[in-house]
Amino acid sequence: MTASAEAAREPLLLIEGLTTTFPVRGGTVTAVDGVDLVVHEGECLGVVGESGSGKSVTFLSVLGLVRHPGRVTARRLRFAGRDLAALDEASRRDLRGRDIAITMQDALTALNPAFTVATQITEVLLAHGRARSRAEARRAAIDIMRLVGIPAPETRIDDYPHQFSGGMRQRIMIATALACRPKLLVADEPTTALDVTIQAQVLDLIGDLRRELGMSVVLITHDLGVVAENTDRVAVFYAGQVVEQGLTREVIDRPAHPYTRGLLASMPSFDDLDRPIRAIPGQVPDPARLPAHCRFYDRCAEARESCRVPVDLREIEPGRLVRCARAGEVADV
Amino acid sequence: MSLSRLLERLLGLIPVLLGVSVIVFLMISLTPGDPVEIMLGDSRATPEQIAALRHDMGLDRSAMERFLVFLWNAVHGDFGLSFFHRRPVIDVLAERLPATIELTLVSLVLALVIAIPLGVVAAVRKNSWIDRIATVGSLLGVSLPGFWFGILLILFFGVHLGWLPISGRIGYSSEVHSVTGFLLVDTLIAGRPASFLDAAAHILMPALTLALPMAAILMRVTRSSMLEVLRADYVLFAEAKGLTRARVIGRHALKNALIPTVTVAALETGSLLGGNMIVETVFGWPGIGRLVVEAIFNRNFPLVQASVLLYAVTYVLLNFVADLLYVLLNPRVRL
Repeated sequence: MTASAEAAREPLLLIEGLTTTFPVRGGTVTAVDGVDLVVHEGECLGVVGESGSGKSVTFLSVLGLVRHPGRVTARRLRFAGRDLAALDEASRRDLRGRDIAITMQDALTALNPAFTVATQITEVLLAHGRARSRAEARRAAIDIMRLVGIPAPETRIDDYPHQFSGGMRQRIMIATALACRPKLLVADEPTTALDVTIQAQVLDLIGDLRRELGMSVVLITHDLGVVAENTDRVAVFYAGQVVEQGLTREVIDRPAHPYTRGLLASMPSFDDLDRPIRAIPGQVPDPARLPAHCRFYDRCAEARESCRVPVDLREIEPGRLVRCARAGEVADV
Repeated sequence: MSLSRLLERLLGLIPVLLGVSVIVFLMISLTPGDPVEIMLGDSRATPEQIAALRHDMGLDRSAMERFLVFLWNAVHGDFGLSFFHRRPVIDVLAERLPATIELTLVSLVLALVIAIPLGVVAAVRKNSWIDRIATVGSLLGVSLPGFWFGILLILFFGVHLGWLPISGRIGYSSEVHSVTGFLLVDTLIAGRPASFLDAAAHILMPALTLALPMAAILMRVTRSSMLEVLRADYVLFAEAKGLTRARVIGRHALKNALIPTVTVAALETGSLLGGNMIVETVFGWPGIGRLVVEAIFNRNFPLVQASVLLYAVTYVLLNFVADLLYVLLNPRVRL
């Protein structure tokens, strides 16, 4: 098989055995523990889990943005056919913003208050050689602002972030991320900081842009509703691990992991307003003292003594991965 | 910022200045010591002569009367005659002011040039050896008295090595015609580079003496605000855009981190313009600081009054300048 054929079959982003640890007083915190994940060309992958489950850190690790003294290791980390681990810092920097872009939860804190929108969008284009002059970068920035639906971009481009409304600011951040038309957009909680009415607009915008620019999107969220409506596949995170991965419809219709079932049960439903919301009892394990066995063991209603063993992510049907020792037996209960 | 807001801020100076003049006047009136006795010294002046001098200087009038006369004249730009120099106070001040301003500005530039890069590097490489050295150094800089450091400089570079002149603003042979009063500028206008270097050599030690304690404080302020800014989301987002580390730190982080530095620099500059009496005395620097010390010893009331008023004005103006700089650094601030 030739190298290009190999690359063509390979997913856009391939993560295998990604582990991110932070040394703390008297030990280490494992924020991400052996995560396996793929993002295919053109798809929208939902990444769902509670805060602190390692969703964001996983993608910051991919981008090489984990701050000192965090340590990132991976068995394989490949993007668009290139080995990310083999890249030097300069090539990795080139990748950021140009091929892989991220947006953050709150545009108010992600955009620099001291610079105009013009500066913040054009600098990405100039840094990646997508514009030869400031004037050209400015024209391109106005175009991208128009694309994300900012009215009168010719004049608004010289405003500062605080002069925009929350929804518009979110669009500015998306425009900044998409300025170089990346292959992959990692949208980290894009709706959490927004009013409910604006949330749908922003999600629709991301969906439209994905089709228009032909990029892949990773949608990080803690909201299974957002996942159900906007994603093709989903990966469920729990305590630094992927516990379930598969097609969104299948995972939501037939959740294979008890944690996924717990998440679904704790969501209010419009179809059945009388159904009580059932919270998952207990708490996420302390990341500095993770058990060797199944991490959901203490909170799992279906746990057996036989669950007190380390559990790997395994494929129960093609494309469907679950990290549960009893996956086969319990799924059909 | 609108012009009317600017005017409003400037008008706000008036009550401040009025308050300062009252306080200064009261303090002088309460200070023991008679300027006439000091001026006449041991000479055997007759009571008539003393009374004549007293009348001449307006000291035979009541304090209230003297204050109102002072205020009235001050509004018209007349601060009276310096008892000691027998010349208008304003002329005496104008003659000495450039020396102090020049020293202050050079110190400020030196302090910023030392403090900002050190503060940034110390924050970026937190807990590295350079951070530790900078932190310990700044602790020393803050705690050691400036004049003591000045004396050490004189002993080492002036006396021991003989590299730098230890007193005055410029050597006799290097003097040039005064245009601006700033010797570093005047020597260049006169087209005499040798004189410029001489003036620079004279200003180096006193400026360093003033700059180092200031740099120590500014470095600490820059370091701590930089540490805070480096944790901000917009710094992470800027990195995620693929910008170089230099641009992320030097522009995105620094512009936000400098805001507290500017405030402290303005306050420190204010106290330099007023409070460098000791350093000016140690280095024989003919500025306002020494002038005021002499004026106080001589009970030279008009001069003391005018200089304290001058301090008040500079201090308030510098704060005003700091406010203007905020607007430049942080567009969210509206005056």
